[in-house]
Amino acid sequence: MTIADRVKAVQARARIRRWEYRQRNLAHGAWGRFRSALVHAREAYAIDEATAAMLLAEGFTSDDRGRGLEPPRGLIWITAARAARLADARPLVLRLDAELLAARNLALVAFS
Amino acid sequence: MAEPHRAGAVERPGWGSLRRAGPLYTGSVTFRDRLLATLRAVQPILEVRGVLVAGSEVPNLLETNAATTLVISQDVDLAIPVAVHEEVKARLGQITRLAPSSDEPSVWVPVPEAAELIEVNFIGLDPGIVEPMETYEKQDDKLPLMVFGPLSLLTAGAIIEIDGLRIPLPQPAGLALEKLVSDRTGEKGDRDLLVVAGLLASMKPADLDRLERAYRGLPVELRHQVRSNLSILSLLEARPGMPDPRPQRPIIDSLTRRLEAG
Repeated sequence: MTIADRVKAVQARARIRRWEYRQRNLAHGAWGRFRSALVHAREAYAIDEATAAMLLAEGFTSDDRGRGLEPPRGLIWITAARAARLADARPLVLRLDAELLAARNLALVAFS
Repeated sequence: MAEPHRAGAVERPGWGSLRRAGPLYTGSVTFRDRLLATLRAVQPILEVRGVLVAGSEVPNLLETNAATTLVISQDVDLAIPVAVHEEVKARLGQITRLAPSSDEPSVWVPVPEAAELIEVNFIGLDPGIVEPMETYEKQDDKLPLMVFGPLSLLTAGAIIEIDGLRIPLPQPAGLALEKLVSDRTGEKGDRDLLVVAGLLASMKPADLDRLERAYRGLPVELRHQVRSNLSILSLLEARPGMPDPRPQRPIIDSLTRRLEAG
């Protein structure tokens, strides 16, 4: 690959990046928004609908950054103390693997 | 026949146990030996003011005694400020163990008698640009350069000295930021981000402050790119022979919070 080819390749990727930036708040940006929530999570738990509803009723905060995915993912920020009392919740490794993506609702514990 | 040499495990905070997965070379020649021999072969270029060793070899060189444990490609990048391009060209005649590739003259490859060396990539650094879109070709019969916009984020850092060889390195903050703004995909992209994990592990608070200040000066799209790549890094799995990103998740969290603010 010549330098001219490499320059064209870099510029092409830059154009794609600009296109992606313009879509950051649209459907195409859903994954970026989802990641931008998970980056702040120290722990994640897969929870069912009933548990999600209960946590919201207890006053924990919902985060809509998982809503752009299909099916939408519900994200709820909870405290570490509340996480310790979650019944039947599966702890998940914080990475975009099949197990995490299979969870329709996630309870997240922030680093701080 | 001698067993291929393998570098021993190296313990470094935040990097996990790194063991070169490769093979790698017969006898007792390690990749570290090859890297240092290559840098010695281009020492006249390294002595030009402003020239920096760049790219993924930098974390290798930043390890204690340049232990060189990361598994990356067998080449080393030299960042050449466009202002010293002519001075660098004037010294090319002193490089005898490498020669321009017939395919791409900005890549110098070992001559047959110096097969233990690795490739050297000459890349242009223009402080007047930062956007990848502004990347351009500096045409030249002797040493053409791809002048890569984000390379201007590199600033001079430590000069390490190994057996009399002085190696000018960039500040870790600038190198991390350069990798975070660059568009990369696939395995190479993930590995570049894991290099950032290794840099974060070694950064002091002053380095993080420096990274934040440089970030604030970026165009909005590149700032978004930095945050996006940090979020990808925080969710990457560990790979053999590369810094483990998982222990760096708290640092990535706090750094991202700082960058998101304001």
